[in-house]
Order: sequence, then structure tokens, then C-alpha cells
Amino acid sequence: MRPPLFRLGRVDGAQTHNPARRRTVVRPLLRLGCAALGLLFLFAPAAVHAASCCGGGSAAALVLPKFSRAMVAVSLDAEHYDGFWNGDGFWRRDPPETDLNQYRLNVGGAYRLASRWQGFAVLPYVWNRNDYSGLARDTAGLGDSTIGVWYESFDDIRCVWRVGSWRDLKPAVYWGAAVTVPTGTSPYDEVSDNFDITGRGFYRLDGSVLLDKTIYPWSTSVQLTYGRHFERAVNREYGNAVEPYDKRLGDRASATASLGYTYFTGAMHSLTGTVSFTDLWEDKQRIDGDEDPTSGLRKRALGGALAWAAPDRNWIVKLAYSHALQYDGWGRNFPTTDVVSVGVSHVFR
Amino acid sequence: MSSGKRWRPRVAAVLCLLLAACGGVGDDLVPTDTDQRATLAAGAVGSTPGATALDFQVQDSADNTVRLADYLSDGATPADAVVLYFTMWCPICLSHSDHLLTTVVPRFRDRGHVVYALVDYVSGSVTLARAAEQGNGYAGSDFVVLADIGQTLFDQFDAAMGTIVVIDAGGVIQLNEDYRTGANLVATLDELLP
Repeated sequence: MRPPLFRLGRVDGAQTHNPARRRTVVRPLLRLGCAALGLLFLFAPAAVHAASCCGGGSAAALVLPKFSRAMVAVSLDAEHYDGFWNGDGFWRRDPPETDLNQYRLNVGGAYRLASRWQGFAVLPYVWNRNDYSGLARDTAGLGDSTIGVWYESFDDIRCVWRVGSWRDLKPAVYWGAAVTVPTGTSPYDEVSDNFDITGRGFYRLDGSVLLDKTIYPWSTSVQLTYGRHFERAVNREYGNAVEPYDKRLGDRASATASLGYTYFTGAMHSLTGTVSFTDLWEDKQRIDGDEDPTSGLRKRALGGALAWAAPDRNWIVKLAYSHALQYDGWGRNFPTTDVVSVGVSHVFR
Repeated sequence: MSSGKRWRPRVAAVLCLLLAACGGVGDDLVPTDTDQRATLAAGAVGSTPGATALDFQVQDSADNTVRLADYLSDGATPADAVVLYFTMWCPICLSHSDHLLTTVVPRFRDRGHVVYALVDYVSGSVTLARAAEQGNGYAGSDFVVLADIGQTLFDQFDAAMGTIVVIDAGGVIQLNEDYRTGANLVATLDELLP
């Protein structure tokens, strides 16, 4: 029989005047809620990574809460393309009378491999809806998937209600590695043109570090990621056979910082609001070893998320929004998009 | 058996099923450098390098009629080469066309006569092609912007976003591929132009 998680009572104003009493009351909450918050923070900025030029869709990482056994997560992203930054960083409008959208259904799972190790996989399905004044195309297909592992460099809970010593300030630190697998349809597949594309066609290895700290009700996180694409042979472009050559996309780096606030209801439901900022950069690609001067990208985006978690923290529902600011200098060689994401995840303890 | 061990094969099976259900997956998973280009018969007409391009006629953004035949060696306004770049006015497209305009065009300005055309296959009208041309700063530039209404050229040259096509004075296609770094375009023009 599963032990009662919240028999000690609710955390409300009347019960939290006594710090010792409060620590006793909230310990089960910390074990569940803190880890869930880490999960929520990761979901919020993930959407801004998914935008890729002209069709490509990729998956984001999942993080399993500490002390949990497994998790499944499903989310639906709706990304609206609205202008872009050119190669000099100046923002430009799309051609008149265009309506460009991509929708992604992301199905993922995470599994605890050992006390400090967890693995995850995320598979997106992508719909492209491109309406220009003189052309309309709807296509769909599997996007690029992601598999990876996280190493948790801590054994105890790093969420606190009050800072009593320097130890209470130590963040939860996760080290991650992930491989993007080109399961999507790329320009190098048997496609008729660019509107069929749902992936980039390259393997990529990412290394990440995630720092997450909660001092209730506030939380903050920082995630840094560096990725390297692997070179591949290309013998076909948009379905047309070409003289074979080697191509490698540029290295990719991103940084995301977020700040959140959690409100607990009397029945111990939680509602967490998060704001985030992400800066994404990709170096120039190389073709047969030569740098492509027309490539490389930069994108900065603001994000916001609301997440509701059930009292047992096993069910989490999330609504997230990401917005790329349509100002000169906030990006380069990349579309400016708005992403709305709705997701639900279930944690198995 | 623990519940965890029962899960693993199920998860693996679901992932395999998902991958197997997706047609086309595999080309990118194991890329190959095998040359798959077909051998062309002499005098073939088509869209690939070595083939002769069919004549075409489209409107430019100023609503003038543009015919390929006019630019061939026996045409009304012969050129040494016709360069077509297929654009949907996206960031990659503009990065390519900017590179073309600022790097390639000046390099060959004093060598023969080259027609540089941006083929707008998404705007669908002369008016909107002109608006896109102006909005992206190409009005008055060395480019002729062609309004490819109904994707006639797009289909004729099996093009996609970023495709560059070079047609010589005899109407033979010398290059038809992604713009990439622009190096193959430069090499092709270098060989064609006097």
C-alpha cells in the first residue's frame, strides 16, 4: 500500500508560523513538488528551441523528477511564423498575405536508470501549414527525435522554504547528454520540395548543464547547452540527385534562464508561473570543409509558462508561450515565431 | 520480474513501432555518398545539368514579359548566361540572394552579360512579387524579379527553396542545385563567361 503523502496536513498560513513544524509538514511536499518544479522549468523554455527555418521540427529534452521511477509526457506546440531577422540582424516582414504555421505533437518518456541517472526519449510529429498568396501547402511527418541521459549530481532535495545556512543555497545540478536523431524528413530525403521538410537531416550531440534552485515560493533555473552536428554525405537535394559532397551544420549553443513563482491552494494543488529568456546561436555550416558564409543563426526569445500540478504532483498540465522579439539585433538569419504549447505529463513514483 | 524490467521491452517496442510507421525514415539515418545522378542522352531536354532547358515565358515585377529564348545566343537580347535563384523570401533565401548580389555579381560585372533573376514562386502575382522585392530592398538592384505564378518555373526546373540554376547561351543547363556556399556558381560562371 502506498504511504499517504500528505497526511501531515496542508501548508497554509496558520500552519507555517512555526519553522520546525513547517519543515516537518512540508518534507513530503518537497520530495514531490521540488522535483516537479524542475520539470516545469524545463518545459517552458524548450519550445523556443523547436523553431527551425522552413519546416524543420525537433524535440526538446525531458527531465524526470528526483526519486521518480518514470514519466510520460505529451505536448502540442503551435508555432506561428511572423517575419524574420535577415543575415545582418535586421527584422523583416514575411511576404504579403502569408500565413506560415507549424504544429508539433511531442510524445516523450523518461525512465530512471539508477539513483542518479535517468534516460529520456522524445519523438515529435510535425504538421506544416504554409499559405502564401500564390501557394498553399499542408504536409506532415515525423520530426527529428531526441534521446539522452541526465546525471543528477545530488542525492538530497535542494528545495527549501527558508535559508538557514549556505548549504540551503546549493542548487540542484544536472549534467546531460543528448543525441538528436534525424528521424524527420530532410532536404536530403526523397521529397519534392522544401515544404515537405520536417527535420534537418543531421545527428547532433548535445552536452548540457542545468542548475535549478527553489526557495519557496520562488524558483530559478539556468540551462547551458552546447551541441555539435556530425558531418554527413549528401547525394540528393530535395529529391534531385547531385554530385555527392560532405556537409556539417555548425555547432550550436544555447542559454536559458528562468524565474518562477509557485502558489499553493488550500487543497495543495500548485500553480507555477514562469518567465524565461533564451539565447540560441548556431555557427556557420561547412560544405566539403569550406565555411558557408550565408549560414549561421541567432535567436533570442522570451517565454512564459503556467503549470498546474495535482496534490500528489503526479499529474502536471502546462501552458507555455514563447515570443521572439521583432526588433533589429535580437536575432540573425532566423524566423521570428510565437509558440503556444499545451502539455500534460504523468510521473510514476 | 520487477515492474521496471517489465516496462523496458514495452517502451522499446513502442519506439520501434513509431519509427517503422514512418515511411521515408532511414535515408538520413544512414546517409550514403553514392552518386545517383542519371546519365543524360545527348540533346536531352530537362532540368538537370547537361540537359537543354525548355523555353519559358513569365512576367517580371515590372510586368514585362521575360522569355528565355530572348537571352539565348540567337535571341533578341543575347546574354552569356542566365542565372535563376528560387526564393520564397525566407531568411536563408535572402542570405543567399544577398551573397549573390554583393559577392558574385560584382565579381563578374566586367565579364560578358549575365541575367540574374530571382524567381518568386510564392507571391502568385506581379503586384505582390513587386511588393516583396521592394520590402526586401532589391528594387533597382541588379536582379530581375520573376513572378512565377502557378509555379511554372519551379516545376520546370524541379526547384526548391534556394535552388540556383545557370543556363548558358546555348540554352543548356550548366548548374541546378542548392546555392550552398555559392562556390559552384562562381566556378560555373568563371568557366562560361569571356
